[in-house]
Amino acid sequence: MMACQIRRDQEISHQIDSQHPATMSFLRPASSSSKAAFRNTTAIRHYAGKPDTSLGDPKRENLRRALYPSNIRNRPTPVGTWRPDVARALQRAIPSVQAHETIERAWLLHKRHVRKQREAELSRKFEKMREAMDELYKLDSQLYLQANRADDPRAKSAQEMEMAKKLKVSEVRTMDARIPGLFPRELKVPTDTPSRTGWNYDYKPFQRPL
Amino acid sequence: MLSRHVLKRAVGCSNAPARRAFATEVVPPAASPPAPTPPRSKKADKARISTAIILNRSPIITKSQTPFETAFYSYQARIRRALSNPFPHDFYFKQGSLLQTRFNMEERTREKQAFGPSFLPPEEVDAAKAEADKAAVEQLAQQEGEGEELAPRTHEADLKNDVKSLDRQGQRNLYLLLLAEENGKQVWRFPQGGVEKGDLLHQAAQKDLFAECGDHMDTWIVGRKPIGIYKPSPATPEEPQNNVFFFKGHIMAGQVRVDGKSIKDFAWLTKEEVGEKVEKDYWEVVKDILSDF
Repeated sequence: MMACQIRRDQEISHQIDSQHPATMSFLRPASSSSKAAFRNTTAIRHYAGKPDTSLGDPKRENLRRALYPSNIRNRPTPVGTWRPDVARALQRAIPSVQAHETIERAWLLHKRHVRKQREAELSRKFEKMREAMDELYKLDSQLYLQANRADDPRAKSAQEMEMAKKLKVSEVRTMDARIPGLFPRELKVPTDTPSRTGWNYDYKPFQRPL
Repeated sequence: MLSRHVLKRAVGCSNAPARRAFATEVVPPAASPPAPTPPRSKKADKARISTAIILNRSPIITKSQTPFETAFYSYQARIRRALSNPFPHDFYFKQGSLLQTRFNMEERTREKQAFGPSFLPPEEVDAAKAEADKAAVEQLAQQEGEGEELAPRTHEADLKNDVKSLDRQGQRNLYLLLLAEENGKQVWRFPQGGVEKGDLLHQAAQKDLFAECGDHMDTWIVGRKPIGIYKPSPATPEEPQNNVFFFKGHIMAGQVRVDGKSIKDFAWLTKEEVGEKVEKDYWEVVKDILSDF
């Protein structure tokens, strides 16, 4: 029925075309064939057109694609906002749910063992230290008092000031570099491989204030 | 035995131990040298105080992973790789450049290692081009050079088992042990010495260390508090009870130089090796002070 309707419209439009060309726009029905006929008749001009991005430096195009990835999920995007084979990769990586949970529990147990061992060692060391301080308290109260004092890193002792007067400027700097009460910077963090030169056996002694 | 007291009189030590200035002190520093000790009981009269130093060379290299840890970390890396976004090589490398080709080749091998060789679809590149790419990447590697060689984790001191070396057993904590001659017997012990009048314990510890081991070492005593006490039973009942307070120290550079008179030998040993060399009652005290690994 639609097809008949369209054909009748086309017949009507043909008749109108042939008879009255000037008044065609008001009476012409909105059918697809008439729309096609309308487009073919006029030329289209682009004034604000996009420049051709395939020429020249692709940097701008890369940046644009990185900053504004498309939503269409047909391939992995430049910034990787979507990976198509996630499920397949995960199936390869994880053997099964039960296996994964077992591995997780084994790891937590291992961490617990390491932690307990470390805590036990620390508590043994602390116990020895407490014992030593108790004995020191019984033996000599003055030494005990002095052992309990905290070092003030900002304070310079009388001995340090005495030495500063006698030493050269570079030596004074060396002396000042080791601050009492703070860790020395020569205490290095362990690395994956040792240094190529190894341990420094040729250390020149420097008299530091006690 | 040449104690530090004898040495001091012989050499004529000039460094008077100075009292540290404290900001929060109640008594002004200039006014009071260490106060005279209160009248002691007879028992305390018999007590002697000495200091000893447990000199530690900290680990130089990180601890090796156990097989379980290695397996777990690689398992977690596979999962992370599966879940994470693929690397945007179009953005970071110039299209068609040799570095991009090299990166993609390396990435393919990494994915194969993680998920198995049949995971990735076969490459659509033809054989000739693949060969050319491989040759170009190899040439690039040769041009760039291998980079600096890393030192191996086991030192030759490990192979020779040289106990005087400070490069041995890079992962472990090493402790300094001295072979001292006391009353005709040779005992392995930590550096030890008496406390002079007016010295604080940690200052005495430092002085004792230099007296017995030489000062060609960069050492640092940790804090002012002792970490342990050893009370050897006196040989005769008339002798005063000796209280040996242990202090922890770190060595950062240099080496021990023994005089050979009272101290015959030295060694840098791990905890188990110390346990093998040292007396039983000494070990009972010291074993809880040393680090296990």
